[in-house]
Amino acid sequence: MFVRHKLRRRLGKYLAGVAAMALVTGVATAPAQAETTEAADDSKVLRIATDGFIDSFNPFTSFYLLPTNSFRYMYENLVNNSAEDAQVTEGLATEWDTDSAGKVWTYKMRPDMKWSDDEPLTSKDVAWTYNQMMEKDELSVANGGLVENFDKVETPDDQTVVITLKKPQSNNPGQEIPVVPEHVWSKIDKPGVFKNDKKSVGSGPFQLESYEANKSVTLKANPNFWRGAPKIDEIQYRYYTNSDAQVQAIRSGEVDFITGLTPEQFKAIEGADNVETNVGNGRRFQGISINPGVADAKNNEFGTGNKALKDKKVRQAIRAGIDVDTLRKQVMQDYAQPATSFIPSVYEKWALPADNPVVSGFDVDKAKKLLDEAGWKEGSDGIREKDGKKLELRFLTDSDATVEQNTAKFLEPWMKDIGIKLKNEASDVDTVSERTTKGDYDMYYSGWSINPDPDYQLGINTCDSRPDADGNGGTSQDGYCNKEFDKLYKAQHTELDEKKRVDLVHQALAQHYEDTPSVTLWYPNQLEAYRSDRFTGFTKQPTDGGIIANQVGYWGYSSVEPAKADDASGQGGGMGAGGWIGIAVAAIVVIGGGGFLLNRRKKSEDRE
Amino acid sequence: MTTPTHSYPGPAGGPGGGDPAGGPGGADPGAPDLLGPGQPRDMDEPPKGGSFLGYLLRKLGGALTSMILVVVLGFFAFRMLPGDPVLKIAKERPMSPAQIAELRSQYGLDKPVIVQFWDYLVGIFTGDLGESYVYRKPVSALIVDYLGPTLLLTATAAVIAIGLGLWLGQLSAWRRNSLFDKVASSTSLVFWSVPTFWLGLILLMIFGGTLQWLPTGGMITPGLDPWSFAGIIDVIKHLILPVITMVAVVYAQFLMVMRASLIEEMSEDYLTTARAKGLTEDEVRKKHAVPNALLPTVTVVFMHIGGLIAGAVTVEAVFSWPGLGKLTFEAISGPDLPLLQGTFVVFSAIIIVMNLAADIVYRFLDPRVRRA
Repeated sequence: MFVRHKLRRRLGKYLAGVAAMALVTGVATAPAQAETTEAADDSKVLRIATDGFIDSFNPFTSFYLLPTNSFRYMYENLVNNSAEDAQVTEGLATEWDTDSAGKVWTYKMRPDMKWSDDEPLTSKDVAWTYNQMMEKDELSVANGGLVENFDKVETPDDQTVVITLKKPQSNNPGQEIPVVPEHVWSKIDKPGVFKNDKKSVGSGPFQLESYEANKSVTLKANPNFWRGAPKIDEIQYRYYTNSDAQVQAIRSGEVDFITGLTPEQFKAIEGADNVETNVGNGRRFQGISINPGVADAKNNEFGTGNKALKDKKVRQAIRAGIDVDTLRKQVMQDYAQPATSFIPSVYEKWALPADNPVVSGFDVDKAKKLLDEAGWKEGSDGIREKDGKKLELRFLTDSDATVEQNTAKFLEPWMKDIGIKLKNEASDVDTVSERTTKGDYDMYYSGWSINPDPDYQLGINTCDSRPDADGNGGTSQDGYCNKEFDKLYKAQHTELDEKKRVDLVHQALAQHYEDTPSVTLWYPNQLEAYRSDRFTGFTKQPTDGGIIANQVGYWGYSSVEPAKADDASGQGGGMGAGGWIGIAVAAIVVIGGGGFLLNRRKKSEDRE
Repeated sequence: MTTPTHSYPGPAGGPGGGDPAGGPGGADPGAPDLLGPGQPRDMDEPPKGGSFLGYLLRKLGGALTSMILVVVLGFFAFRMLPGDPVLKIAKERPMSPAQIAELRSQYGLDKPVIVQFWDYLVGIFTGDLGESYVYRKPVSALIVDYLGPTLLLTATAAVIAIGLGLWLGQLSAWRRNSLFDKVASSTSLVFWSVPTFWLGLILLMIFGGTLQWLPTGGMITPGLDPWSFAGIIDVIKHLILPVITMVAVVYAQFLMVMRASLIEEMSEDYLTTARAKGLTEDEVRKKHAVPNALLPTVTVVFMHIGGLIAGAVTVEAVFSWPGLGKLTFEAISGPDLPLLQGTFVVFSAIIIVMNLAADIVYRFLDPRVRRA
């Protein structure tokens, strides 16, 4: 009995050993195989980590960030935005002109262009695309706003597109609308629900090859791209739900490019081998929106905003009481550009210059004086009062966002210094968004991504952008309404002389600054990193100190080329058999092994 | 002892066979009470057979009630959540009011809530869980697509965790208060208390980023055929870290249950008898104590399987595993209402069914409950 028992145990041990060996050897031989299948073209595949939502790759309907970023690479627009300063540059059209009123825009297209399937690309494709968006609701979901002002689109010949607008506009109407091939899309039964998720036909530098939900997106170089075929073969987006995992993935060389890092992640990776970092000046702004007494289009006020904030002086006092520079250095760890108004400084031409007389800095005395003037007198506890009411404000923040929570921590004592009691109301992002829509706030932390032309962002600061009487249709940035601002907006909207338009935009921004419906804190940097041992030649937008991902245009990855072969030899990713045995041993020791050894020792005691 | 145990499945098979008839009867609240005692076919067994059917119907009724609550809650709970999916999309993106209205009508959000609820109810009964806002695909198809990876991950983790937990648990119990017991129990409890998210990230950092032994995310290297040899090995490589994380965090519960139930058995007289027969300690443990201690453990295991699938949410989020958990995690930040409803209903249904199975299995396995 004893012998049989022992034998059985030995057999068990033997089987376990065989299984373990099989696992170790099997796993150990595998990387070699996996590497050989991949290595063939791997050096020309740019792998980018992403966690972006994808509904489809239909440029008419998709509005998520990853698909729209991909469209910029897949479909050339009539005119594009340059890498240098993001202003209008040639796209499908080489030159364009407008009548004196800015109502009729005529574009001359480059001759002999081809789609990626070798079919000719003509003005007919452009007109067809625009007309589809103008005529069909289901195709206007993503970019319908851009053609709302289009009256008709005509093509006198294969190289000419004439856009007639309903009302004049100074902003070039050929921007940001992906032009699709008529010969492909006109044959699709229901273009509104077409996924377009494999083998796309387009005119940009890369075409969508395949898409596997939550796994990968593969884009292939387009040899027919009019600026010339890219030097890499493929862009492959790989899914990483978690940004910390993305950091590990670039350390291990599983991906070549990551973006959107936090300052902590960025600092952790700065010293890593073969990883190059980029602090890109971004096209976003972040700020504090102050409820100026939100109202609907008929001036009926709604929401719970503190009445004190309807007074411009109180809002200005809040701005003067915030030490933005200290905040930027402490909270953003200096990974942000100093700001004036809501047009970021990367759009140098449009942004409100820092030397504009209206721009003011941190000044506690001025803040106190403004509050005194507004009739808020300091009470016994240091908090100001007026008509027996204390000046208490709520500050709405996203509880998950470290930056917002830290901002609130700095703001509370600063506001107390000038006599305002600030209460941080941290909540989830959905609650914040719902409450701000209802006007149920005094101040909240806000942020926007800004396109190269300031027209849209100025537009959502006009009185017209406020919601209708039912609370619907509101797109307003801060609930701001000032007839003077609206006049300036309308003037710049149709001003064709760029110098004059720039001046009008600055005036509008200055007016907004003066009225202070929001305090722009900074323009955050986009923190990025790439594997310098594998690729070089990323183009930034703006080229001087700009961003690589999320550009307005297709510059970032189009110019990328593989790094020199000798640099690439040291790359990680695979592991030898030794490593695998190590893992197996570690796993056994950690989970069961320790117990097993102890168990053995005890067993001999049992046998006595 | 053995005889009733063997004969029981016979009569139980009787009512069991009649179950399809009893099943629909269960939908009619009046029927079950009459049916059980009303048909005493076997003079020996009537109270048992009757009580089993009653027990079954009671459990089925409970499960059904839970399911109805889940369906109702699934709709209203997510709608009560703050946040408007359309406004969320419209934020940080140039959109005109006309575009926003078009989107609202595409999502069906312009209809009154009661109409939306009716559509949802009809949908559930016809197996149509609506269309995801983000993926623009039927939710039921999405769930089927993502169920595979989740099952692979959770089944692997469950088998290892259960095996490991039960094995260590019975050894610990047998050598109660020994060094082995202390080490095994406390180690397992330490892992049990560690946040899954944290443990996953630490493993990811050590084995993925620093040592670069294992991949940092996903299920398979893009471009590999999952059914080729290299593909299978690649999937195994991707499986190791998430499985270790899941196992480490959950195996304690199996260890503890097994340990407790074996300790209970250890004071039983039949073990003394077994020892008196001259069996070795190992044989006493393996042949007598463990099989009996397994009974209550099995039901606990069943009850935890449903929870395991739901517990995959965190692990999938850390390791970018393309499964149901990741789908849910992302749907919350959408908020992708139909997808949230769908996964909520499916996850809940899995747990309810597993609990029901646990109740039934318990009854079959444990003679004490059967006789009670």
